[in-house]
Amino acid sequence: MKLKHSLFTRRQFLNGLLGGWLGALLASFLYPVIKFVFPPTREPDQVILAFADFRDMKPNSVKNFLWGTKPGILKKQDDGSYLAFVGVCTHLDCNVSYLADQRKFFCACHDGWYDENGRNIGGPPPKPLRRLVISIEGEDLIIKREGEERVEDQ
Amino acid sequence: MKTGIQSWLDERLGFSNILGFLKEKTVPQHKHSIWYYTGSAILLFFTIQVITGFMLVFYYNPTLDGANESVARIMTEIPLGWIIRSVHSWAASFMIAFVFIHLLSTWLSKSYRNPRELTWMSGVFLLAVSLGFGFTGYLLPWDDLSLSATKVGTDIPSSIPLVGVWVTKLLRGGEDVTGDTLTRFFGFHVSILPVFIFILLGVHIYLIQKLGMSLPLAAEGKKEKVREIPFWPNFVFREMVVWLLLLGILFSLAIFFPPSLDKAADLMAAAPEGIKPEWYFLFLFQTLKIFPAKILFLNGDTLAVFLMLLAGILFFFLPIMDNKPTERKGRIITIIALVVIAYAVVMTIWSLL
Ligand code: FES
Repeated sequence: MKLKHSLFTRRQFLNGLLGGWLGALLASFLYPVIKFVFPPTREPDQVILAFADFRDMKPNSVKNFLWGTKPGILKKQDDGSYLAFVGVCTHLDCNVSYLADQRKFFCACHDGWYDENGRNIGGPPPKPLRRLVISIEGEDLIIKREGEERVEDQ
Repeated sequence: MKTGIQSWLDERLGFSNILGFLKEKTVPQHKHSIWYYTGSAILLFFTIQVITGFMLVFYYNPTLDGANESVARIMTEIPLGWIIRSVHSWAASFMIAFVFIHLLSTWLSKSYRNPRELTWMSGVFLLAVSLGFGFTGYLLPWDDLSLSATKVGTDIPSSIPLVGVWVTKLLRGGEDVTGDTLTRFFGFHVSILPVFIFILLGVHIYLIQKLGMSLPLAAEGKKEKVREIPFWPNFVFREMVVWLLLLGILFSLAIFFPPSLDKAADLMAAAPEGIKPEWYFLFLFQTLKIFPAKILFLNGDTLAVFLMLLAGILFFFLPIMDNKPTERKGRIITIIALVVIAYAVVMTIWSLL
């Protein structure tokens, strides 16, 4: 079937072609720029630490380790078991500290508080501290990204 | 009398037009003309920033291991280095302070109304760029305070759904604040923001020349003649008096109260107590602090960020919303301005308690 009138003029067609081509050209310039300014993720899937460094920790005390570019906090419980957290506040990312005498984690940036299990209990933090999964294999302390298990939200 | 060189250059550059314009230019004189001096005060401090910035960059080292040390070296070893850094730091505060005053005077006198809407909007961009300079510069000494302030500041956009995390990544050069962030902030501070500020300043000043200075509401509508003085030399000489005064205050403060420098930031250490951003961010800092973790079903900080964004947008479009004829008083706008000022002052004081 042949249309009586064309749906757009030759001029419109050419302008569209030219515009589309310019757009595609621009996109092909922008793509590498955008790719370049965002570096790849550096959060590790797991870190392996020497258990010997952590075996002598006192109950109710913490020790830091390196979780990629973030501080990780390993905490020894009263019963001798361990918990691992990502030591950054869930509010706006400041590094938290553990106050052993009060059995709380504290964020100095906006007075955020977490209990000894990392649950957010006061101030602006909206979520509990991120937990990591620990396993001990021989002399290695292996810390992995958490699976589904998370401390219940308040 | 033109010399040969002058007319040779003039034929090619045509600067006599510009000089002619400046000779003709007049500045209105009335009881509110003191606000006209705030613009040139900003330019004065900006010039000082450019010059002292050039000097500091000779010795500053924007790397994780070198930054804090190189600032310490500027403060202790380099001849008169401490004064240069102190002036840079104080002039930054002065510049921001005058930007605020300049803006509030425009707001309260409704000078942004037709035809000066674009002057206002370019001014809002200039404010944003100035704050960007302040924010990026705060990190460069790389001590504990500046690190925590940057962590918080760059994490704020990530509360915005979808795009937010990418903005944070873009600012930080990764998921976390690291040495890459320092290098990136240095890049923003000394190359990207300067390009923007020069372009915006050019537009802003051009618009002021093209559209003329605004008059106080009372005088603007009426046809009666307002007293005027020539820009050159009368007004410029008066400005120079103001500059000298400001320079005196600036140098005195810089010499007697140089900025401190803590030990180098430790990326893994807990945030120190009493962290604070620069004074001009304190009201935002306090706002974030008092927002609770959850409001209804929303995260408190997400809501806070949305409110800030909304305030920024309303602020930018102020001349579009308030497009009344110039002689109308605009009481509501004045009241809003006063409320905003009161809010900022109260929050700032609260954050210092
Ligand atoms: S960053 Fe921890 S309370 Fe705000």
